[in-house]
Amino acid sequence: MIRFLAHRAGAALASIFAASLLAFVLLRLVPGDPARQVLGQFATPEQLASFRSENGLDGSILEQYWRFIANFVQGDWGTSFASGAPVRELIGQRAPATVELVLVAFVASVGLAVLVALVSTYRHRPWVDRIASAIAFIGMGTPPFWLGLLCLFVFFQQTHLLPGPEGQLSPDLAPFPERTGFVTVDAALAGRPDALGSALAHLILPAFTLGFAMFAFLLRVLRSSLLEIADEPFVSAAESKGLSRWSAFVRHALPNAALPALTASGLVLGQLLTGSVLVEAVFDWPGIGGLVVDGIANKDYTVVQVFIMLSATIYVLVNLLVDVLAATIDPRVAVVPERRAGRRARGLLPSPQPLDPAEPR
Amino acid sequence: MSLAVRGRPARGRWDTTLCVCVAILAGLVLVAVTAPVWWTESTTATDPLAALQAPSIEHPMGTDAVGRDMLARVLGGARVSLAAALCVSVVGGLLGAALGIAAGLAGRLGDGVVMRVFDAMLAFPPVIFAMAVTLALGVGLVTACVGVTLSAIPYIGRVVRSDVLRVRGSGHVEAAHALGVPPWRIVVRHVIPHVAPTVLVQIASLFSFAIISVAALGFIGLGAQIPTPEWGTMITEGSALVLLGKWWVSTFPGIGLLLVTAATAIIAERVRVVLDPRRTPPRGIL
Repeated sequence: MIRFLAHRAGAALASIFAASLLAFVLLRLVPGDPARQVLGQFATPEQLASFRSENGLDGSILEQYWRFIANFVQGDWGTSFASGAPVRELIGQRAPATVELVLVAFVASVGLAVLVALVSTYRHRPWVDRIASAIAFIGMGTPPFWLGLLCLFVFFQQTHLLPGPEGQLSPDLAPFPERTGFVTVDAALAGRPDALGSALAHLILPAFTLGFAMFAFLLRVLRSSLLEIADEPFVSAAESKGLSRWSAFVRHALPNAALPALTASGLVLGQLLTGSVLVEAVFDWPGIGGLVVDGIANKDYTVVQVFIMLSATIYVLVNLLVDVLAATIDPRVAVVPERRAGRRARGLLPSPQPLDPAEPR
Repeated sequence: MSLAVRGRPARGRWDTTLCVCVAILAGLVLVAVTAPVWWTESTTATDPLAALQAPSIEHPMGTDAVGRDMLARVLGGARVSLAAALCVSVVGGLLGAALGIAAGLAGRLGDGVVMRVFDAMLAFPPVIFAMAVTLALGVGLVTACVGVTLSAIPYIGRVVRSDVLRVRGSGHVEAAHALGVPPWRIVVRHVIPHVAPTVLVQIASLFSFAIISVAALGFIGLGAQIPTPEWGTMITEGSALVLLGKWWVSTFPGIGLLLVTAATAIIAERVRVVLDPRRTPPRGIL
């Protein structure tokens, strides 16, 4: 296990390093000279030179790369050209809103996916099954930004059941102290049921929009793995000992079917990182995604670059966490690949992830 | 229980779901391609006097904020989006397959280099990698397609490579080698035919990823630029109008996207069942 941990952590570090190299190459290709963009066309050569040295744009490519990495690791993420504020500060201010939204969407969609997958598979009922898989396909085909607009039209514009795109709270609420930055937590801490209600009402549509695709995706993965082991002897054994079909499924089949879903949840995070950008843009959510879309619109690429590097880092780390979790659940996963291709060729090693993890392996 | 055969259509019977999906896709392609003949409104000509009209006989899908006919734009968007997704999935599939085959056949050094590059690309969530590429190459529909293509290549390359490694170690390749068949001939006659089904399956499932990713890039302003009729960009144009009750500008392109992605995802599933029988078929999909 320790060998596996070391191996996976090493691989994760290597891929973050490789990603940073790739990001550096890509981001240096961005058209336009940033010094010119910020200082305008009337800047003197001295001004340009001093701007370049301040922002790490002078020196050889290697030096620049080293500075890029060192600054990123140290949290010196440069200055937003549009607002003049340090990017780190901007992201810090907006991170809680995104984390809140993503967490709620994640928990809700995982919970619902498990429930619907169990209900649709524990008995052989073709119609329930068909509806569940239709939902899965529709969910995966629905662009989140469009679903958000549709929800806004139905629940806000037409019926006024839920608040519109005005961020996390109604603008007419009396202010309350900010302690954690997480609006729902702050409202609860301040003992303000009205604020808490408003915060929750504002969360419903964005979280649903963000979570629907994930829910559909996890439902599909979980369904196919539950169906695969539905007829395994240990499930029947649990049933014949007197458990109901449902309890046998929940207590014995579900834990054994959870592994592919866990592996898939690493990919789900990728969806979430992208999805949060799209959904926040629709709901005017004061999170990082909105910052990124504004950054694109204002050609303020520093913000976008930091977001790209950050999401790669988070993505790699979460996938590392998922691998470690999978290995703790199922120790067979923790086999360190040998360096010889021959073992792979003989099928001793697991094949790599396909584009679509719902595909049975 | 007969769970094992669910999802695979019984021999000789029509697979209704598949027929519906193929009909939707084929119908959409046909309608989109022939549209300039029977619906002669321009996709880009503006008419401020006819701005934001609700759907009517004259404009069955209404008009947008500058008075462009939405039906013409949705049909034009179908041409743009479908063509873009087709290019992305075919080019991405073939390039990924070529790299995967090369990596699988190359020695340790070549294999290692290709796989490390793939690892670097896989460190980014796919659409975010496409964002980075698009920013680097300059914003636009073509660069967005390049970005999505590049972000898909490592996924396909890895799957194909593992297939190549499997085939390479199998008996018939060894036998051919023992018989003195030259290496290029082994590759062409004995390796590629074995990985071709995998590549086709991957291309099919890439299609729906491509169409939705290109639209997502368009939506955040990195893809097709105004006034190109592209579904994602059109949804952005309608996003502010939805709050004013003008639902039609972003609803119709979204329905188009939903139909195409869901239909192609289901078709890809069926292609997998037919072409890749070694893997257990996904059961009970519709």
